[in-house]
Amino acid sequence: MKRAIHPVFCTIVPPHVLDKLAQSEDPTVSGPARRTLEHDSLQRTRRRITTLRGAAAPTGTPSDKPQRTIYDAGHQEVTPGRKVHAEGDSPVKDATVNRAHAGLGATFDLYLKVYGRHSIDDSGLPLDATVHYGEKYDNAFWDGSQMVFGDGDNDLFLDFTIPVDVIGHELTHGVTQHTANLEYYGQSGALNESVSDVFGSLIKQYALGQSADQADWLIGAGLLGPNVDRGVALRSMKEPGTAYDDNVLGKDPQPTTMEHYVRTSRDNGGVHINSGIPNHAFYLLATDLGGNAWERAGKIWYATLTGGELSSDADFADFARLTAATARSLFGEGDEIQAVLKAWSSVGVPAS
Amino acid sequence: MRIAITRTGGFAGIERRAELDTTGRPDATHVQALAHRALASAAEEGTAVTGVPDGFRYEISVDGRTIHCADPHLTHDQRELIRFVLKEGA
Repeated sequence: MKRAIHPVFCTIVPPHVLDKLAQSEDPTVSGPARRTLEHDSLQRTRRRITTLRGAAAPTGTPSDKPQRTIYDAGHQEVTPGRKVHAEGDSPVKDATVNRAHAGLGATFDLYLKVYGRHSIDDSGLPLDATVHYGEKYDNAFWDGSQMVFGDGDNDLFLDFTIPVDVIGHELTHGVTQHTANLEYYGQSGALNESVSDVFGSLIKQYALGQSADQADWLIGAGLLGPNVDRGVALRSMKEPGTAYDDNVLGKDPQPTTMEHYVRTSRDNGGVHINSGIPNHAFYLLATDLGGNAWERAGKIWYATLTGGELSSDADFADFARLTAATARSLFGEGDEIQAVLKAWSSVGVPAS
Repeated sequence: MRIAITRTGGFAGIERRAELDTTGRPDATHVQALAHRALASAAEEGTAVTGVPDGFRYEISVDGRTIHCADPHLTHDQRELIRFVLKEGA
């Protein structure tokens, strides 16, 4: 029996070794090596791998148009699968493909038009997505270089391409990976989850043209299947802990404030649980400021995430302090900084 | 042979656990061989598992030996065992 090898790639591996691996015929070897090289912030490394792979080198300013490609895994757990839709193609019969295409576009739009960001890496990264991944697969994720969507089991969960905020949430994991790179454990992990919920929700609000008081502030509304009797979504930023309370799913475990912070080793130290606290702080800020949440509140969060000051192991208080500093530098001593301090104080996180 | 699988993480962050005893099952030989292969191809016990944000993470215990693995870096045998136990187990 052939023993499968899972090499762990990190920055200790010399670039020339990664280059060698990246050229391998075996995608399980070349894939991780290429991703590691591609993550490397050095443009030099990126140019070298481009040359080695013989692909077209990016020229000049990245495009203001997304470059989306949708693949179909055919219910296998493989990526990318068979190419079924390119950027300029008309809608196809498969609604899942069309939804994935539209959701990638909505995400690209918010980041470009509101924050001036060119795709996930701010260098025009093509947006690839694989749909129909696995059999009755109850999940969606960003694998480090592309999106992966399951169909859901049609019992507890429907198709993961349905809610646009889920698509935005996952792609934002890519943005975080290319910026603050928050470690996916404990409080930094909960912040990683929370910024994905924040921008996932903002992508939905921006697409629907909803102001902060019109938005539902739910994550995953429309995703729960017919066998979930009591649930509206997976998370609520407005009222963490109230999204579901069901016989099969259990009860939404999210706390609203530090008083009910959950200490656990499960779920990477509760990354999907304690994210309720920074989620609610953002909701309070956005509704306090009023108008469109992606404008002032969203800009403070975006500049904090991408400004280069946020460390990868930041805790809630580090993040809160930085949002306050960001609010001051963007808007001076006005309503914004007062609203930021008030929001963090309400959830019990010190911001000064 | 007792096989227990716990799945954590995922977009929803909802945990799922299932256990299966192969004793008396007509497919016992097949399932036991599959479990052996799934464990043989796993990283050493105690090694950190590199997953992706929102990717499922799995803990597989077979007669007291426990291994960890994570999507999307599963072997074919691990995928098959996980799918089987989460579906057939209780």
